[in-house]
Amino acid sequence: MTISPTAAPIALPELPAAAAAPSVTGTFAEAIGAAIGQVEAAQSTAKIAATDLLAGGKGDVHTVALATQRAELSLELFQQVRNKFVSAYQEIMKMPM
Amino acid sequence: MSLDRTGLELGNVLSYLARRQEVIASNIANADTPGYKTRDVGMPADFSSVLNQQMMPEVQDAPGLTSRNDGNNVSMDREARLLAENSMKFSLATQLLRSQIKNIRSAIEEGRSS
Amino acid sequence: MSLFSAISISASGMDAQRIRAELITENLANADTTRTPQGGPYQRKDAVFTSSPVENSFAQTLADFSAGPATGVTVSQVTVDTSDPERRYLPGHPDADPDGYVAFPKIDPATEMVDLMSASRGYQANVAAISSVKDMIARSIDLFR
Repeated sequence: MTISPTAAPIALPELPAAAAAPSVTGTFAEAIGAAIGQVEAAQSTAKIAATDLLAGGKGDVHTVALATQRAELSLELFQQVRNKFVSAYQEIMKMPM
Repeated sequence: MSLDRTGLELGNVLSYLARRQEVIASNIANADTPGYKTRDVGMPADFSSVLNQQMMPEVQDAPGLTSRNDGNNVSMDREARLLAENSMKFSLATQLLRSQIKNIRSAIEEGRSS
Repeated sequence: MSLFSAISISASGMDAQRIRAELITENLANADTTRTPQGGPYQRKDAVFTSSPVENSFAQTLADFSAGPATGVTVSQVTVDTSDPERRYLPGHPDADPDGYVAFPKIDPATEMVDLMSASRGYQANVAAISSVKDMIARSIDLFR
């Protein structure tokens, strides 16, 4: 019985251009894709809020700060979860068969 | 795993307080304007409606103030007091929000070492 | 934006009170001026305050949480007292009329001083408002850290 890896390790996303590793299929890739989407959405919200305030005078400083923090937290959370999965994957790959 | 409601209530409190400070500034600037009536941001009976929604109370005339001969009813004592109180509440709310964000960040990073 | 508007509003208050104080000072300085370049005695000036929306360095849109009706203040008009001047009997005075009366401005220094104190307090209150709003903005910026 052989177990062969079906894909390269998860492609580490560089936001905003990101995609789940194309050759990994199934719910895991979808979950990662959805998470990336959320991070991108949070970053986009923050950027729009900042632009609105600086260029258009619309909004408050605290609103922009909060949006920015949310985007950063989303990214940090994503990175932690991704790191966990990468470690788990590597653990599995080390198992002798 | 969505963090987009982080700090929502405190954020709304800050918006409310900022709006109120603007109105107080307006009252102070118009303390000697004939006919000017003191304004305030409405305080709904149930403050949680401010916390949870994006509904901002309306700016309306402040009740219970007496007018002078020229029709102006601004009380500088009242405005000075509110200016200070409002500012302190804002400081408190920003501090609480910072703590909240910091705690979330710690919780996210906590799993790192394992 | 609420807070930046608040600064504009308080600044307009400072401006208005300063203009008011300048007029009062002019009144006090000319309390005994019986001859002006226009002829006749000095006429007392007064500032008329009117609420007005502030010219904000940032644009405002309708959809945001601005306390829309929050307004600043401007001196919309400087009124000149054109009522009959006060006449005092001083026949030897260079500006005396044929009957020996001199026209003096209708200015009571005590009233002007009370007014000046009010303008000064008003000015200080606007300064305090700007200071507290600046503090709030600084705390908002702290949220980024």
